[in-house]
Amino acid sequence: MARSISNLLFKGLSFSSVPASRSSTIAPGLLYLNGMRYSTSVPNDPDTHDDFKPTDKFKGSGLSLKDIVERDVKENPVMLYMKGVPDSPQCGFSSLAVRVLSLYHVPLSARNILEDPELKNAVKAYSTWPTFPQIFIKGEFIGGSDIILNMHQNGELKEKLKDIAANQEKSE
Amino acid sequence: MGSRGGATVLQQLSRASRMRTKLQTALEASALDIEDVSHQHAGHAAMRDNNAGETHFNLKIVSPKFEGQSLVKRHRMVYDALADELQSGLHALSIVAKTPQETGPK
Repeated sequence: MARSISNLLFKGLSFSSVPASRSSTIAPGLLYLNGMRYSTSVPNDPDTHDDFKPTDKFKGSGLSLKDIVERDVKENPVMLYMKGVPDSPQCGFSSLAVRVLSLYHVPLSARNILEDPELKNAVKAYSTWPTFPQIFIKGEFIGGSDIILNMHQNGELKEKLKDIAANQEKSE
Repeated sequence: MGSRGGATVLQQLSRASRMRTKLQTALEASALDIEDVSHQHAGHAAMRDNNAGETHFNLKIVSPKFEGQSLVKRHRMVYDALADELQSGLHALSIVAKTPQETGPK
């Protein structure tokens, strides 16, 4: 287990230079993410001048963070709030959630909560769930990685994603 | 569990032992296995500012209170019992939550 986690971390690091545009194929509609680097070291750096700190990416859109979360889970059949991005998860649990969901070949939308502490808090408040990743399917809060893995193993996940997968085939 | 140096244990209860007490009290756990796996996440991006340890745990809990509850609800019950710990640096839990019947002889 320890080894697999370190492999994941290493993989994450080596992938961190992947062009940002690549994530647009994974998170359609979540364009706010695409211009951002995956690095999570900036927000905690005391030397960073305010001008260079991440700002509220949603400012000016007229939407509160709660609205953003509501819209995310409504408009994206499978919505994942995770640490890192699907290509490069920053945490073993987030990585597990991505791997499980990827097995079903459904469109996967994701936001990186490490990039935005306020969004992170908004998601926690919305779901009243304290940890990440958090998975929503068709607007319904599903749970974290333990639960998604469990649902994968007992067949519930297949059932839940059935019509999403079917729609996907139709549109292709 | 219980392998920590004798003197320090008396001074300050570990998070693991606080979790044990809270889960036992709130959920009347009939079996409880708490494993500190924080070391596996030491280089974790979100853990850079947290050197205190005791952030990640694997938890196996058997409680009659899980009877008739969905998995999400069971996890919520565990999180509710550990709300204080989650506020004070407990970062992630891997939870296996079963009823006594589910763990019974197969």
